[in-house]
Amino acid sequence: MEPRDLSPRELRLRDLGLRSLGARNLIKRARRIGANASWLAIAVLGLSFARTACAAEPLDLSYCTVCHGTQGNGNPAIRAPKIAGMEPWYLKRQLTLFRAGLRGTHPEDITGREMQPMTLQLDDNAIETVVAYVKTFEPRPSRPTVEADVERGRKLYVSCAGCHGERGEGVEALGGPQLTQRSDWYLVTQLELFRSGLRGFSEQDVAGAQMRTAASILPDAKATRDVVAYINTLPASNQEDAR
Amino acid sequence: MIVSITRRRFLNLVGATGGSGAVYKAALGLGLVPSFASAVERPDIAPLSKSTRKVVILGAGIAGLTAAYELGRKGYECTILEASHRAGGRVLTLRHGDLIDEAGAPQRCTFDDEPHLFLNAGAARIPSTHNTLLDYCRELGVELIPFVNENRNAYIQDDAAFGGKPVRNREYMADARGFLAELAAKGLQAKVLDAPLTKADQERLLEFARAFGDLDGQHRYRGSIRAGAKSYDYTRPEEKLPFREFPELLDCNFWRIAMHFTEQPDQAPMMMEPVGGMDMVVRGFMKHVGARVITHAVVEAVTLREKGVDVVYRHNGKREKIAADFCLNNIPLHLMAGVEHNLPPSGAGCFTAVPRGKLLKIGLQARERFWERDGIYGGISWTTQDITQIWYPSHGIHKRKGVLLAAYCFGGPAADKLEAMPHAERLELAIRQGEKIHPGYRRYIESGVSIAWHRMNHMLGCAAEWTDELREKWFAALQAPAGRHYMIGDQVSYHPGWQQGAMHSALKAISDIDRRVRAESMTSGLLA
Repeated sequence: MEPRDLSPRELRLRDLGLRSLGARNLIKRARRIGANASWLAIAVLGLSFARTACAAEPLDLSYCTVCHGTQGNGNPAIRAPKIAGMEPWYLKRQLTLFRAGLRGTHPEDITGREMQPMTLQLDDNAIETVVAYVKTFEPRPSRPTVEADVERGRKLYVSCAGCHGERGEGVEALGGPQLTQRSDWYLVTQLELFRSGLRGFSEQDVAGAQMRTAASILPDAKATRDVVAYINTLPASNQEDAR
Repeated sequence: MIVSITRRRFLNLVGATGGSGAVYKAALGLGLVPSFASAVERPDIAPLSKSTRKVVILGAGIAGLTAAYELGRKGYECTILEASHRAGGRVLTLRHGDLIDEAGAPQRCTFDDEPHLFLNAGAARIPSTHNTLLDYCRELGVELIPFVNENRNAYIQDDAAFGGKPVRNREYMADARGFLAELAAKGLQAKVLDAPLTKADQERLLEFARAFGDLDGQHRYRGSIRAGAKSYDYTRPEEKLPFREFPELLDCNFWRIAMHFTEQPDQAPMMMEPVGGMDMVVRGFMKHVGARVITHAVVEAVTLREKGVDVVYRHNGKREKIAADFCLNNIPLHLMAGVEHNLPPSGAGCFTAVPRGKLLKIGLQARERFWERDGIYGGISWTTQDITQIWYPSHGIHKRKGVLLAAYCFGGPAADKLEAMPHAERLELAIRQGEKIHPGYRRYIESGVSIAWHRMNHMLGCAAEWTDELREKWFAALQAPAGRHYMIGDQVSYHPGWQQGAMHSALKAISDIDRRVRAESMTSGLLA
């Protein structure tokens, strides 16, 4: 009666598909991470049905959706932010930072620490695959949950606009991601992490380090909430979520 | 004409037609035997013959399996979609080679391959009052043995008391009862008690106090053999242990919760566990419904239609859809919050409102059952350290090796602290803290597993943590069907964290389905 029992690594190997890689590559990868013959066989088997089954659907990356929701719209119950609609270049940068241990490694960054191990087994190809997969999600309008002093937030936002755009639309050339249509509680968490130096702590994370400096102009947690409350009023940020 | 009938005659008639089970039920009805029988009867589902109904069940936990078992044998066409690699949900028995699918930190169980070397990483004990579960055990052939939940020979250890040294549960119990009884006796003798007692009652109460605390002739507590003997060498006279003073006992936090733990009906003797592991319950169900379970099937969307429910799920990288007449949804509330759905917010609003439990267990395999040489056969030691408890296996007594439950953190800072650690660090902490209770502990430990339920893939939480306020606001709407969709699981019961709660939620839901199907067939005449 025991159902098929694949380890997450085995599953990921199957799921990641390695559809874009050939079987030879797959075997090479598997050897590199120390595969034994039995699960290599499973992985190759997996590849064969991944090839046939994945035709209609990009990839089966259940590890993303278990936490971030089946369409990447986030799950506040487990503090997993919305990733649907995130810019591919930003997503790629963050996955790379997590993987390098430049984000989500501080003991007090609790949710970051939950995310970080998920990225450890992703090679560059797999990161591309994840980014492409997230692109297929249908973003749902974010529901505002942060209420604070919008007027004060408007004044504070002036210094954000340089990198994130007047309307929070993001400026790729400057490395500033879009701020509208995200989970607003996640923006609060991340601003607090930047402010306390738990994110952007390494010079190797260039944009993160810049953001850490930028966040230091926020005098207190109240200011963080104010600025996020203002971001909520920017176009395409204030639509009511259906749920 | 009314024919009068004696109760004895009535029971005889019932017995002749319905057998002893029916006699028992009838006797209950007449109030002739005391009952803790559940109000949730196994429903008498009307069998479908001319037409079937498609039921999609989300999650192969106990509630889902119970529903599939009951509906399946009455002609319903059930499909169980299970996101993980296995059936059972939080009924998980870990043995040699098993996968522990923690998100980002998978482990393999490295216990020796022996039938008694397992850890019940989720559900682990069955109370005598959980008659629905016991009924299924009987029916499914799940053999049970006693489970020792309290052992007076086990230890209590508190860094703030007794110099941090472990003390036998029985010593503490005897001393605490003794002093409390002495206090009561003094009060009775000083007539400070203003209760309306007769002289005779006062005398009896004094005797009660003496018996309760094993007081001496002057109603003083001067130690008791109940605390244990200095030695159990019966070539010599038995000698009492020295007793501890009351203020010292109060320093130890044992009296707050742990001392009274087994007073509750679901923790009191007699408790049971299945021979060979709690997942024998799952296996029992799977013999009947295993063919209906699809593993690695991750639900993406649940859509209510006018006369049914559509479920979209991903399986083998392909998106599939089931259009069902009914849906029984066992998905944890906090994960439903991430699934696309059109359920009414009156119930679905609680998906993000009810906190998920954060429970963590560690199992360690010991090369030798050293605790049995110390007079501990089963039961639990309590400590104020992070590990909170050590459970000694009630099964496999006097075998060479055994698997201890070496930590059981139910929420709070301890669970958070251990969750944040890598697996090896968790084991190291459990070993280090266990040393305080069993000096030399470390050298017995061979291997271990840790299960942080709030980090397990496709689970990310233990039992739903309802509060009175949350119940008031959400529970009725959550329990009621939304169209033809029913939320089930221990989360939709007043007994979360127990299989009996899960079963009751399932039985309630399928009774309602049965009622609706009967009503439909009355109008359409489809049912035989």
